[in-house]
Amino acid sequence: MSAAISDTRLSTAWSRGLLGCECCGLVSETASGVALCPRCGFALHARKPKSLQRTSAYLLAAVVLYMPANTLPIMATASVIAGHESHTILGGILELWQTGSRDLALIVFIASIAVPILKIVALALLVFTAQRRSRWRQAERASLYRLIETVGHWSMLDVFVVVLLVGMVRFGAFANVEPEAGLLAFGAVVVLTMLASSSFDPRLIWPDSTDHD
Amino acid sequence: MQAAARRILARVGLVDRRDEATAHVHPELTVCEECDAVYRRRRLSAGEVARCQRCGSVLGRGHLLAADGQLALAAGALVVFALGNVSDIVILDLHGVHSPVTLYESIWSTWLSGEHVVALLAGATAFAFPLVVILLRLYVLTPLVAGRRVRGLVPALRALRWVTRWSMVEVFMFGMLVAIVKIAGLASVIPGVGIFSFAVLTVLLAAIHSAGLHDLWHRVSELQA
Repeated sequence: MSAAISDTRLSTAWSRGLLGCECCGLVSETASGVALCPRCGFALHARKPKSLQRTSAYLLAAVVLYMPANTLPIMATASVIAGHESHTILGGILELWQTGSRDLALIVFIASIAVPILKIVALALLVFTAQRRSRWRQAERASLYRLIETVGHWSMLDVFVVVLLVGMVRFGAFANVEPEAGLLAFGAVVVLTMLASSSFDPRLIWPDSTDHD
Repeated sequence: MQAAARRILARVGLVDRRDEATAHVHPELTVCEECDAVYRRRRLSAGEVARCQRCGSVLGRGHLLAADGQLALAAGALVVFALGNVSDIVILDLHGVHSPVTLYESIWSTWLSGEHVVALLAGATAFAFPLVVILLRLYVLTPLVAGRRVRGLVPALRALRWVTRWSMVEVFMFGMLVAIVKIAGLASVIPGVGIFSFAVLTVLLAAIHSAGLHDLWHRVSELQA
């Protein structure tokens, strides 16, 4: 149950010559020249190395795959009644809406369409402002970062839905569901945006006067 | 040569304990992970949340349960996880033809259909990582409760930090609900034991994760001191 109360004056670890371990939280002195956390062995650094470059790279890859993820079909259904049909992400949401499950349609829309767009736009904004060492709306940007970290993995919803449908609908010629290439692209977008947000160092939102970077 | 060896050991989390004695560390302080502000540590009571004054991020949470309670949660999670994986998620009834569905079969069907990467992704995030999370929690909490030193706590905690991030039981749980609604027009769906097990597992894992890992790091280093 250990955590924290404020010091009388707010100061940063870097300005005091301290480094907090990103993995286990132990605070070490930079002057002691320890490159690895003495408790857990994680590499100590004031800022994640090449954070903005790595975030941008993952983000760019996610943007490229975003197009096929949304235009290619994510699954194909075959049944004696309806014949062969391909379904895209947006098509699946419209289908849910039309069959009367509007609440679920809304949830899938948020998870599959809104969250990936939010992550890409928000991370682009965070990288852009961090690069300029902007002091614009720092508290709001910090909240935005926490939001995308929290909701990020929910985009995996549609991947699980298709995998489960593939497992459920196995009635041979009568009715069958198969996954399609769009699902791979979509899964890759989810993983890449998660990697992008974990590469971003939120400490860059709060540039120090002593910032070295 | 010796320094290189120690560095490699440290990389995988097997730290030479002599380093700690010589390095200047400040266990009495804590640093905000998100904005680098320094605070003095203090013990948090159960349910208490400490937030950074500058950026608002959570510095620490007091878990509602002591270590033995957390161990019980993890043991319960293991039982429910096993149950959820061996029993049917749903049973489909298509004109009298019953077709039971498990998580394993869904992932295997996806693999057989040729989407290997997707099958691996789903298998990792819905099955393997949640299992590893539960096992590592048990591995770390058991000696803590017993007050015994065991090897490998540091690598276990480091792995736990990584694997927790990629475990997605709660999303999978929701995926089941959406899949059931989508299938409802084609066949009648009878919910199985599996879906209820995953619902309970979602709640248990949320309760287990509620306090973060820094508190465990401190308990482990107190144990080893």
